[in-house]
Parts: sequence; structure tokens; C-alpha cells
Amino acid sequence: MASILLKNIVKSFGSFVGVQDMNLDIVDEEFLVLLGPSGCGKTTTMRMIAGLEHPTEGEIRIGGELMNDIDARDRDVAMVFQGYALYPNMSIYENIRFPLRMRQVPKAQHDERIRRAAEMVELGPFLERKPGALSGGQRQRAALARAIVRQPQVFLMDEPLSNLDAKLRASMRVQIKHMQRELKVTTVYVTHDQIEAMTLADRIVIMNKGVIQQIGTPDDIYSNPANTFVAGFIGSPPMNLIAGTAQNGTFSAAGARVPCPANLSGNITLGIRPEDCLVGGDNLQGLVYGVEPTGDITYLTVRTANKTVEIKAGREFRAPIDSAIAVGFDTSRLYFFGEDGARVGGN
Amino acid sequence: MASVRKSGGENLLVRYIILVSWALVCVVPILWFLTIGFRPRTEIIVPEPIYWPTWSLDAWRLLVSDWPIALYLRNSILAVAGSVVIDLVLAIPAAFALARYEFKGREDIGFYILSTRMMAPAIVAVPIFFLFKNIGLLDSVWALMLIYAAINLSLVTWIIRSYMLDIPKELEDAARTDGASDLTILREIMIPACLPGIITAAVIAAIFAINEFLFTLLIASTSKAYTMSVALANFTGGSDGVIYNAIALVSFIAFAPILILVILIQKHLSRGLTMGAVKG
Ligand SMILES: Nc1ncnc2c1ncn2[C@@H]1O[C@H](COP(=O)(O)OP(=O)(O)OP(=O)(O)O)[C@@H](O)[C@H]1O
Ligand SMILES: [Mg+2]
Repeated sequence: MASILLKNIVKSFGSFVGVQDMNLDIVDEEFLVLLGPSGCGKTTTMRMIAGLEHPTEGEIRIGGELMNDIDARDRDVAMVFQGYALYPNMSIYENIRFPLRMRQVPKAQHDERIRRAAEMVELGPFLERKPGALSGGQRQRAALARAIVRQPQVFLMDEPLSNLDAKLRASMRVQIKHMQRELKVTTVYVTHDQIEAMTLADRIVIMNKGVIQQIGTPDDIYSNPANTFVAGFIGSPPMNLIAGTAQNGTFSAAGARVPCPANLSGNITLGIRPEDCLVGGDNLQGLVYGVEPTGDITYLTVRTANKTVEIKAGREFRAPIDSAIAVGFDTSRLYFFGEDGARVGGN
Repeated sequence: MASVRKSGGENLLVRYIILVSWALVCVVPILWFLTIGFRPRTEIIVPEPIYWPTWSLDAWRLLVSDWPIALYLRNSILAVAGSVVIDLVLAIPAAFALARYEFKGREDIGFYILSTRMMAPAIVAVPIFFLFKNIGLLDSVWALMLIYAAINLSLVTWIIRSYMLDIPKELEDAARTDGASDLTILREIMIPACLPGIITAAVIAAIFAINEFLFTLLIASTSKAYTMSVALANFTGGSDGVIYNAIALVSFIAFAPILILVILIQKHLSRGLTMGAVKG
């Protein structure tokens, strides 16, 4: 149970910079999610917190204590590895027991704690098996059980649900969140999956190419994206980004025209979420490119001269391909981004 | 390799014939050798082949009564087993350090260790002789044990290191975050995970040690420290001429442990011998 502080952290591998000048203040008991595309430095950040990788520059503190020179085994951090990292020669039972033995937990408690951890991840029947005899999802759960069997100061979870099927993932998601609230352990969680990020996180950190793009609550990230990267990364489908120009309070692009703040001019990118568009209106003219009914809503793709725009249309919406269509935007939910991608106005 | 996939009976038959013939080519000399060992002396030096030999234990009796085979076997086993134990005790931690710790010149040290294996042994024969003479260990099984261990140490280290390099680093990271020390990681994670490699290395070292000749001859000046390999070379069957059936039998006894070892680990052996190709 501890806060984590990363101060001006840099991690380079030779000339390649994996993590760049990262500042992150994780408060006690927080559930923090690292989200970003593959190779953006999520695992590297975790490994530095765990003490498995040493930052090239900067300070790491856990519970206020400087950790830079503290060995991984003395940090009291439990980690779920992206590749499971189960000990192949030990049974699942022994795997889960390993951290208890290493941390000198009294023997009398072992069995009960192991079984409780296994129960939480629905692994009870597999305790006697070797990791090699489990499926990917079962191994992942075993790795999770090994992390939760003791009460560390910090949980680090590197995509712990990536190999589970949709149903199990949803139920494990709820369990992890519940467990974290119950155990009150500060947790850093890495995922590719936005739904996981949005549902689990107290705060989300969006990273790209080793640089933090935005830190905020899920609501904040969703409704106040700091730049085009965040806007285009969050949401499914993500925000539409339309490049155009602004002049005298009007933004225009091929086939599109909306009012914009009067102070904007020059090359501007307009952002509009698919759910803030509606069929009928006069902000965008184009041709129907695709109609994808999913049951509760219908995804409509509209093509303009140089761009396709995704729209969440009503469940009943149907239209023939290549028919002309006009789309209206909810003008209270427009986002404008400058040439460098940073947010300059809107909403 | 489409033909391999085909499961036609004819194809299978051809394959069996080829494999069985090859197996015969390999095995027949050994069996023939063995039969010589169990035939009377008079029968094996006649010019015409004898298809239905008479069996006899003459050679065996001769060996047991006139020749200290038990002593030689004991020497061999003691020296070889002892040397393998010494090798493993020294090589496993060394391999772990070479595979996992980051330090300056790690690759160079690894290569240097292996390069000791590339030298012709005769170069160091004389110095070794004086070394053991000075410490009073000539003509002793303990000296052989040390020499065998020294000869094989580099190879054993190298083989185990190559296996350790194949163990995912994440395993060790997990153990470390779970609170394990380096020694615990070595004992509980690395050794069990690369046990096949350790066994392979041990068997290869044992085979080399069993067959070692040059240094054994140098150190073992009397039959007190003779091992099977040297005793065999000196053995002609006693005072009355060369006794081929006894020689054949002794050779077979010397060869049998190696055969058994190889059969036991053949699954891992090819991996051990091709380790350079698998992992540099
Ligand atoms: N030991 C290393 N040596 C060199 N480069 C490395 C090393 N470890 C990581 N990198 C590089 O650092 C970058 C970040 O890697 P990291 O593993 O943190 O990505 P990630 O965000 O976890 O990606 P993924 O979602 O695919 O797991 C990558 O480009 C990777 O190639
Ligand atoms: Mg990763």
C-alpha cells in the first residue's frame, strides 16, 4: 500500500529511447492504467517500477522511499508478466506458493491462501497440473493467482487478460477491480484494450513512442482529449479527424463546413465522435460507403472527397451504397486541433 | 518433403528396408565382436568362417582369474563419476553467470573458456606430469579425476550455458519479484528448467572421460590407477600370446557403459552436440 512517483524518468537502450522524460504521480490505492500502442514503452515502465530495469535517468519512489538502488526482490511488488512466466517444473500449486515461501510467510497459512487465490481466478481444478498442461488463458490466470496470493505494496499487471475469451475477460475484469478495492493495493495495469482501460482505471495514462500523451480519468480522456493521438486512440470507433482550414469563425474541409471559434485560423483538424454525428443536417456531404448493422446500433461510413467518416446511426438506419447523404454534427461537441496535433479549442 | 507425408504402404516398406539395413550395418560389427568374446580361443583364428559357433565362457574365466578387471572398472567409475561431479559443481554456477550476469568481457570470457578445449592436449602433457609429480599425486585415481574434470570443464560449462540462454529471462524476473535471491533462482528455477542440458553435458563429459587415454597413460604408471581404456590397450590376454576372445570381451565391457549412456540420453544428445547451431 503505497504511492508511486516517477520523476523525469528516461530509459534508453543504446541510442534508442524507450521511455522519455516520464513524470507520473500515482497515489496510494489508485488503479492506474497504462494504455498505448505496441512498443510505446508500457512494459518498460512497469519493469522499472518493479526494479527489473534501471532507469537511465530520473527517480523512482515507492511509498516516498527512493527505489533506484533497491533490488527487485526487496521492493515488495507483485507482477503479472505479459508472457505469464510460470515456473515450468513446478505445479500450479507450487507456482502460486513460490512467493509465499520466498517472503517467509508462515507455512500454516500457505494452503489456505493458495486455494483462495486459485478460487478467485477459477483455477481450483488445475492446481496439480504443470503449466505446460494448461491453455493460454489458464496460464494467465495462474500468473494472476501467483501475484495476488500475497499482499504486496504494489500490483503490476502487464496485459493480464489478453488471452482470455470475451466472457471470461469481462468477469475477470470485474473481479480484478473488486479485488483491488478490497485489498487496497496500488495497481498499475497495462492493456491494449480501451474497454478494459475505461472500466478499470481511476486514471488512464496514454503513451505513444515513449512519451506520455495525457493523464486523466477515463471521462476526462474521453471528453477532453489533449491531442489528435489521444482523440484517435480512444473510442470505438475512435473520433473522426478531418483536416481542413479555419477562417473567420468557420472551419471548412472538402465536403464539410462547421462553425468554429473565431480566434482559430490556418490549418486545423476537426474532431467529432461518431456518436455526435447524425444523419440529416448540413455539416458534411458525402456518399454512403458502408452500412454495418450490429443489432443495437448501425455503423455508417460516409466518404467525402478525401476522407471517410464513421457515424453511429440509429438501429433502423439503412441506405444503399453510393447514395448521397448529408450529415449533421452536434456543434456543442466539436474538437479542434492545431497543426502540431495539440488541442486548440472546441467543446 | 511431400513424399514423407505420403503414407502409402509401399513407401513405408521402402523406408523400413533402408532403415533396417542401416541399423544392421551399425549393429552387426558390435554383435560379431560380442560373439567372439563368447567363443573358444581355437575357434576364432581358423581361416574358414564358422556359422554355428560353439559357445564358451573361457575368455570370461580368464579375465576374472588372471586380470584385475574389477580394479580397472572401479578406477574408471570412480575417476569418471568424480570428474563429472566436480564439473557440474563448478560449471553450473559459471554457466549461470555467463548466461545471465551483465559484466564487461562476458562474451570474451565465455569464448576463452571454450578455447581451452581447442588446444592439442599433448602440448600440456609434460607440464601436467610434473605438476602432479610435485604434488605427489602420480599413479592415483584422484589425479585422474582432477584431470578428467579439467579436460571437460569448459565443454560442460558451454553446453549448460547454451541451455540457460534458452530459458526465458522473464522466468528469472518473475522469481526476483517474488522475492528470490540469485542462489534460489539458480537452485529452484534454472537448474530444474535446464535439467536436460545438465544431463546431456554430464553424459558427454562421462563419455569423453571414459575414453580418455593420453593423460591416463601418463599419470597411471602402474596398474594401480589403470582405467579400462588404458588397461585395454595394454591387454594382450596374458603371457601366452594374443588372446583375441578375451580382448573382444574386455573391449565390449569397456564399451557397454557408453552405449547405455548414449541410449539413455539420445533424445537430448543431438541437441547438445548441435548447440552451436541452435544458439551461439
Ligand atoms: N532490452 C531492450 N533492448 C532494446 N530495446 C528494447 C528493450 N526492451 C524494450 N525495448 C524497446 O523499447 C520499446 C518499448 O518496449 P515495451 O516492451 O515497453 O513496449 P510495450 O509498450 O510493452 O509494447 P507491447 O504492447 O507490444 O507489449 C520497444 O520499441 C522495444 O523494442
Ligand atoms: Mg508490453
